[in-house]
Amino acid sequence: MDDKGLVTLLGMSIAYLASFLGMGLAWWSWRKRQGRQGGQREDR
Amino acid sequence: MIEFTLLDWLWTTAYLLLMVGGAFFFYRLARRSESDFFLAGRGLPWWLPASSVFSTHTATDTPMWITGVIYAHGLRGLWYTFFTAWTAVGAFVSARIFRRSLAYTQAEWQSLRFGGLGSELLRGWLAGWQFFMNMFILGWVGIAMGKVCALVFGWPVWVGLVIPTLITAVYTLAAGYWGVVMGDFLQGIVAIFAILLVSIVGIVAAGGPSAITERLIDMGQGWRLDPLAFTGWTGGEFPALWWLTMLVIAVIGGFGMGTSIDWYVEAQRIQSAKTVRDASYGLWVGGAITLVRNAFWAASILAFFVMLPDLKEAADYELGWFRLGFELLPAGLIGVFFGAILAIHLSTISSHLNLGALYFTRDLYQRYLNPEAGERKLVWVGRASTLVLLLGSFFYGLMMEEITRWLIFALWLMMAGIWLPNILQVVWWRFNAWGYLSSWIANLGVSWLVVWVLPAFGFFPPLPDHFQFWLLMLLGAMVFVPATLLTRPEKMSHLVEYYVMTRPLGWWGPVHAEAVRLGLIEDGPSRQARSGPRPLIRRQWTAEEAQDWTREDWIAIVLSPLVFAGIMFGLTKVLLLQWSGLWALLGAVVGSVVIYWVIDPKLRAVSADYEEQQASYIKTLESRMRWKDDDGAATGTPGGGEG
Repeated sequence: MDDKGLVTLLGMSIAYLASFLGMGLAWWSWRKRQGRQGGQREDR
Repeated sequence: MIEFTLLDWLWTTAYLLLMVGGAFFFYRLARRSESDFFLAGRGLPWWLPASSVFSTHTATDTPMWITGVIYAHGLRGLWYTFFTAWTAVGAFVSARIFRRSLAYTQAEWQSLRFGGLGSELLRGWLAGWQFFMNMFILGWVGIAMGKVCALVFGWPVWVGLVIPTLITAVYTLAAGYWGVVMGDFLQGIVAIFAILLVSIVGIVAAGGPSAITERLIDMGQGWRLDPLAFTGWTGGEFPALWWLTMLVIAVIGGFGMGTSIDWYVEAQRIQSAKTVRDASYGLWVGGAITLVRNAFWAASILAFFVMLPDLKEAADYELGWFRLGFELLPAGLIGVFFGAILAIHLSTISSHLNLGALYFTRDLYQRYLNPEAGERKLVWVGRASTLVLLLGSFFYGLMMEEITRWLIFALWLMMAGIWLPNILQVVWWRFNAWGYLSSWIANLGVSWLVVWVLPAFGFFPPLPDHFQFWLLMLLGAMVFVPATLLTRPEKMSHLVEYYVMTRPLGWWGPVHAEAVRLGLIEDGPSRQARSGPRPLIRRQWTAEEAQDWTREDWIAIVLSPLVFAGIMFGLTKVLLLQWSGLWALLGAVVGSVVIYWVIDPKLRAVSADYEEQQASYIKTLESRMRWKDDDGAATGTPGGGEG
């Protein structure tokens, strides 16, 4: 693969990295709230 | 280097003072709430979003890019700029649906359209993507300004990147979207004035319109006056299949959301409009003015070509329009011209600073980190994230220029794999969050394979762009169609809620039937049977009748891209005194009047009905934004979802 391909791959990976980070944050928040909800149900 | 007189400096300084001073005027409005800082309180009349749509479609590198395609291709190069035509259809389809959703961002819309965990993952995904994308666009546009300043003043590129962007940051930080949109209005007027002025001066300098066309024919370059000068079906510099591909991407893209990179910016303008009708007209008029701009640019670049026909390097001829302004305008007006370039730059920078901050504040911070944050705190987070974007853009612009150049190409290609899912998510009820998410993720691997890896290892030769687009779309579909059909549909209760709120176009039969069964909407055919035969074109609407997609909508949808083509090519030809263009331009004017006559009564009825319910919709949305149901009790997800 030429330099252009490598450079592009790197650029695309950075773009996707930001998306994966955002998705990871959403996943973490979801799990946290699901857990909290489970706890609330048990309290009741 | 260009010589600036005292008068030129005076114009430039006055303009900058006006922009920064205006920010303090709107500071108090912006700090009231998140809605004010990012959407100007959802209260703008159509002409403000329209001027903002035009301004955001006009970036610092746009004159270079359009000059490049017109210099290389003649008038057929205008088709490259016709991607703006998504606004022609989008004004009557996606703008209407998105405005009714009340989502601040496209990421938020995902969580309204889809439900459960999938919708949250999508929201996080798009928010991360957009935060990065806006930082990257800021860096890219900043570098373009750095190059212009190097041409004009001989400054190092980094000075031109940093100083104008810092000035923009002052009023964007202070006044948020209020500053952006009011600045865009002022900047739009300055920019269009300069574009008209420089273009006319350029045409006159080349000897006038007739001299330009005669000279082109004498040079054996008469084909440059033909917008349909194809080089065959699939081969050459301008194959018909490439033209068709561009048309499909632009026009059909208007049925979706996110089919153009500009969608994400315009979505904010759509949402800031005070009614559905204002949102539609804002997008349509903004797109139309953009095409008027293209026409003036095209005519003047042909003039530039006639005067300097032997420039071989893109880096030389891409600066053609700037050279017309700086080399032909008299002292005193050069400052006005530079002020217009600053206007174009400031408007792009401010828009992307505010938009990137919006995705961070609304979709990452508020949704996932601190749902209980108050309005003041959200405004301050908006300001802090604006600052982070600003610093990140300097990094991109200064350190990664080469990567950025190729990244633009890469991002365009990646749009191919998600172009169809971007439409399906709007028009097909069965398309779900997992299908959409899989299309994004698959796109990385598929585009990498098709564009670089397989050609590099000799499996097949590098493919032309139009083949790449269709192949990527096909390969993407092989992933997202099974992913959609092998996973469960979104919960019907969630879909019904979304459907009743936004009334989308397309294949929503089962959801519509369920909404009718629940008594939430009235069935169209039974209502029509009760009200008797309808006129050919209906101009009196009840609120419920106006919700349906009818032939009036389709007349607007079909006529609108034709009008856009007529405006751009007709005006270009008229500027070159080719009278065939006059018929196209007249046709565009008549078409515009017909569209308005047909669709306006319906848009008024839709808007009036929707505005009555908007306050209650907003209350529900904000409650769910904080992970609470309508009664204020904690919930795992907005609108239920499959969990």
